[in-house]
Amino acid sequence: MTIETGGGGATTVPRIVSGELDFAFGNVVSLMVAREQGLPLTVVANGMTTTGDAETDYSALVVPEGSDITAPAQLQDATVAIDNLRNIGDTSVRNSVRLDGGDADHVDFVELAFPDMVGAMDNGQIDAAWVVEPFLTIALEQGATPIAANFVELDPELSIATYFTGDELIASDPDTVDAFTEAMNASLVYAEEHPDETSQILTTFTEIDPELIDQLRWPRFETEIDRGALETVADLMVTDGLIDSAPDLDTFIR
Amino acid sequence: MSSRSTTLSTGSGVTASVRRAGTKVLHVLLLPSLLIGLYAYSSANSDSYYTPTPDLIAAAFAELWFSERFFVDVLPSLARLATGFTISAVLGVGLGVLLGLSTRVRALFEPVLEFLRAIPPPVLVPLMILLAGIDDSMKVLVIVSGCVWPILLNTVEGVRAVDPVLADTARCYGITGTARLRVLVLRSASPQIMAGLRLALALAIILMVISEMFASSSGLGFAIVQFQRTFAIPEMWAGMVLLGLVGFALSALFEFAEGRVLGWYRGLRAANRGE
Repeated sequence: MTIETGGGGATTVPRIVSGELDFAFGNVVSLMVAREQGLPLTVVANGMTTTGDAETDYSALVVPEGSDITAPAQLQDATVAIDNLRNIGDTSVRNSVRLDGGDADHVDFVELAFPDMVGAMDNGQIDAAWVVEPFLTIALEQGATPIAANFVELDPELSIATYFTGDELIASDPDTVDAFTEAMNASLVYAEEHPDETSQILTTFTEIDPELIDQLRWPRFETEIDRGALETVADLMVTDGLIDSAPDLDTFIR
Repeated sequence: MSSRSTTLSTGSGVTASVRRAGTKVLHVLLLPSLLIGLYAYSSANSDSYYTPTPDLIAAAFAELWFSERFFVDVLPSLARLATGFTISAVLGVGLGVLLGLSTRVRALFEPVLEFLRAIPPPVLVPLMILLAGIDDSMKVLVIVSGCVWPILLNTVEGVRAVDPVLADTARCYGITGTARLRVLVLRSASPQIMAGLRLALALAIILMVISEMFASSSGLGFAIVQFQRTFAIPEMWAGMVLLGLVGFALSALFEFAEGRVLGWYRGLRAANRGE
């Protein structure tokens, strides 16, 4: 087995479809969009799930220190940074704005890389940002205030990212796919039961400051993919026009 | 039918020029149609999701760009391109004349300029976000930071290479100041300035796309990346086709302008060669 880190779905999906990669990791919104475009992809294991608790989740909508904005509803006509437009970030943020009684259609989203968001907030170039770890902890250390736990508000059981494969591999080599699912699930259970080891593994392939690692918030490594949560995501995606109709979850997940 | 008969009746000179224009159009279209044909053939015989057939791309093209998206994505991109290119031209030529005329200034600036020139603009984007924000000014700055160099360096070289005999003659006739700059320096440097501008134009298109891949919510480059990420492959191709057409149109426009500006130079060269 070789592990490759390769960009986002735009680069991993073609490689899965062409059979160059067997399995890849991607967020559920990207996968649903790809499925609707007719790409033969199927989810085979969970990747990570929100903690379901606003205080501890690894993702949040934050505003800079001293901001007048205290709730998502006030984001109307505000500029909000997200890493990718028409993806899980803006979908979940819009949901939080709606839940809070705001007008989600008049939030100005702008694409920024996560590392650039804190600086852009300090400079007043953006009014709010959606950040995930480790940038959430960095933002909070610099005085940012969380105003919504967008994933938790979408659904406390939401699977954000999953492992997926191409349908061709499922047809030609189901045993390998079964073995992958089994191994992935075992590793998820292990990661969840051994949080210290899980956090230390970060030091082996990232340059994150060791002191920061102790403060990071983690997702839940859950083996179950909650279908109700995925239905909610799919409905939101239909509302926002990312897809025309919700996918059939029975074929979406193996 | 009637227009054709008029053409024929006005004499053989017109017919020849019409034929020449026809041949030229044929030359322009021959290779593209061949390549499109080749692509059509290979994509029709492939079931790859990423190579849709040309008719799908054409349909996506018509649907995308003959709509309001043209005003939302294409026009702002072109405006940023034009602004960035114009600023680069003014900066490059202005600074280039200054550096070209004075050895001392050149010696002072050259190391720094060579250093800055070697930095690829995309690397500077996070810094530019901090300096210029995330609006259009950042994107224009990205374009300028790459485009200014070929113009600047070519202008310097062009200004340095002013024919000494011409310079002496100008001095004898008491041509100084702005008149000297206009009739002697800029004029004799113009072939090289135009070469720099041409290089910069090609760079400007590339940098326009790159600048829109960061901190964007509209633009041609943004749209193409967006289509790619949402797996809207025919749309992605349609964006690239439009980008290519923009490049082609700008280059044709530039050639026209260059012909106007450098008409004297071409004539001079032809005369020198005894044509």
